[in-house]
Amino acid sequence: MKLKKILTSLLAVTMLFSVTACGNGNDNASGSLASESLESAASADTQTEAAKEPVAAAEDTITIMVPPISGTYTEKLAVWVEEFEVLYPNLHIDVVTTSWDEHTSKLTTMALAGEAPDIAEVSYGSIGTFVEMGTAVNIADYMPADSLADYDRNALDYMTLEDTLYGLPLYITIQALGGNREMMEAAGADVAKIQTEGWTYEEFLEIVAAGTNSDTYGFVFANAGTTTADFVSIFGVAAGISSNFTNDLKYAYTSENMLSLLEAVETMTSSGYMPNYAVEATQRLVMLETGEAMVVGKAMPLYESSVNKNNAGIEDGSAAEGSIEVEYVFLPVPTMEGATESVYGAVDGFIALRNNKTTDEHLQNVCLFLDYICSGERAASVDNELYLTCVCESGREIQKSFTLDQSELNAEATARAISKVIAPPTGVTAEMSANAKTIMDETIVPKFQALLAGETTAQAMYDVVCKEAYALFGEENCASGWVNN
Amino acid sequence: MKKRSDRAAKAYKKKRINHEDFSGWGFIFAAMAVFLIFTLYPVISAVITSFQNYKPFGSEWVGAQNYVDALNAPLFWKSIKNTLVYTVAVVPLSLVLAFSIAIMILPFGKKLQSVFKALYYLPGIASGVATAVVWLWLYNSSPSGIFNQLLGVFGISSVNWLSSSKTAMLSLILMALLSSHGSNVIIYMAALHGIDNTYFEAAEIDGASFMQKIRYIVFPMCKPTTLFLLVTGVIGSFQVFMNAYMMTGGGPDNNTTMIGLLIFNNAFTYGKYGLACAQAIMLAIVIAALTMLQFKVMGDDVEY
Repeated sequence: MKLKKILTSLLAVTMLFSVTACGNGNDNASGSLASESLESAASADTQTEAAKEPVAAAEDTITIMVPPISGTYTEKLAVWVEEFEVLYPNLHIDVVTTSWDEHTSKLTTMALAGEAPDIAEVSYGSIGTFVEMGTAVNIADYMPADSLADYDRNALDYMTLEDTLYGLPLYITIQALGGNREMMEAAGADVAKIQTEGWTYEEFLEIVAAGTNSDTYGFVFANAGTTTADFVSIFGVAAGISSNFTNDLKYAYTSENMLSLLEAVETMTSSGYMPNYAVEATQRLVMLETGEAMVVGKAMPLYESSVNKNNAGIEDGSAAEGSIEVEYVFLPVPTMEGATESVYGAVDGFIALRNNKTTDEHLQNVCLFLDYICSGERAASVDNELYLTCVCESGREIQKSFTLDQSELNAEATARAISKVIAPPTGVTAEMSANAKTIMDETIVPKFQALLAGETTAQAMYDVVCKEAYALFGEENCASGWVNN
Repeated sequence: MKKRSDRAAKAYKKKRINHEDFSGWGFIFAAMAVFLIFTLYPVISAVITSFQNYKPFGSEWVGAQNYVDALNAPLFWKSIKNTLVYTVAVVPLSLVLAFSIAIMILPFGKKLQSVFKALYYLPGIASGVATAVVWLWLYNSSPSGIFNQLLGVFGISSVNWLSSSKTAMLSLILMALLSSHGSNVIIYMAALHGIDNTYFEAAEIDGASFMQKIRYIVFPMCKPTTLFLLVTGVIGSFQVFMNAYMMTGGGPDNNTTMIGLLIFNNAFTYGKYGLACAQAIMLAIVIAALTMLQFKVMGDDVEY
């Protein structure tokens, strides 16, 4: 009986505290929301002044959410955080690490709850979601102009929507194709010429056809699940589609270019040059390493390092089962007739986000750390690990002292690819960006999987995409005919 | 003297009742608090949000627009259809499978029964993600995939298990059937143990065959259990998310997009929280209607 009484009292008190705590939490939240709206209204006039004011010395905690941007990024970040906290003893940095799989959903959930981290890794295509949500912050209001001048304009454009800068770029990834030199040469390809001068779609198809046999696919592109979007974006440049929107801000996937792209896929799958089933991201690299694929996508320059490691592991048994010695070559995406050669570049970087506790003073501190983490040695270190060139001057300066374990031709192909990246058109609104993501996820990706499996035709898929796009954007805002940006 | 003792008895009784009241109210308060905070509040919050264009810093009231948008979206109806197909295939087959296994295990001794129950329950304790990874390996569409290698032995060409509209849903159904009937087997076993032996003895005296015993004794006696498993199975099946999310992502051509996955995508991928809440409310209504229908059709002669 006594135990029952104690237990009951304990439960009741615990519940009372829980309820009280929840109540207090809400009060604080609504209080900060109220002050947030007042501050937002008041800060409209003072925003430009905010950037010029010195950062306050009051204690502050900044939260950053990061996936494993590179193999060693999270370990390095811990060191950089320590260095930053020595430089600014009043600022404390909380690091939330995520996996790539959970990053977007975790970030979106936190942002929807008004508890977004102050800084988060976000790719260009996802910025619109946070702008629409009202959680993205115009960082130009809180950063001095000379700090922003360190970053390349075209890279900053990727972090910009409706002329508002929401974050800082960390790198421009160039995503194209990779191949097995020996197999390609056996299929009649002049690899060095392709790497330095590019190739047409007809040449590509000829080589892929020659490289296909009972043991090897001429071309394998990872396209399982959401990676289908990668195919459309990365191989889309072959048909001259370098962005969701054309220069005159029309939705690009309704153009004839898209139909040509889909017809190319239809040809390659029906001919057996590429698998008619979904290939997982890790699987395509293994297929390259084991000789089951001659040309693979998506590929990046840094895969040279992975393939070399696998080659080294053949003797000690750490390589993928059935591996063969492969000389990795980084290749541009071929170009169809009527299209201008370009390479798909995606900018990944960090954006600043608003949460229940955000104040102007806090945002200044956030932007201080944002600039620190995206520039100088930090940027150089990441870009070097990814075999990429920095998108900020301070990073490039430091990068000069690094040496890359990269073949000369691959380095040349990388530099050439970077020069072929076309920045997205300016003037894309957050709504346009969010709608483009919806149509990609709900229409293009599912239909593309059916196309791969031979269950729909290129024309049928194109018609569905047009229908959905017309409904979402309006026909007048969708590209028609052949577009060459 | 008698009066004094009556008063003392009443005071003692009052004191005792007060103590018991306190304990009772304490436990009720704890349970109610948990229910209010973790069930009722989220439900009310979801209903309110379903009428809003939700934004963390200032939502707008949009009336029934989210419901209209959901009902006008072909993908919503497709996801309902997919979920129905999945439910109609998985729930009855899963019950038949669990019932058959329970009947087959029943004649064994207690120890052997426990071994079988443990074996069948084992996949249930593995995390859904881990199970999905194993099934992805089995369903690998390349010729080196386990199922495709198996088909290869019989000279059948590789099947595009998860990437073809013809087999993707079937693959998910097969996965659900083979990896999640452990708890149903255990519940059916408990029900079978609860049937009084005298029924079987009487049936044997009457010369009833095995199938007759199943039909006239086991089926009716297990009806409450079957109804329970059917109702919870349908509810669980309508809320299915993990399998489609991990295995197919809803593809190909949205042929495995279940309503749970659609709600998840709207809320946590596109940030359309209001729309997701509207869809969740409609899902709850559908589940409630189906549950009532099941009770109406099967529950009349069921006593607990």
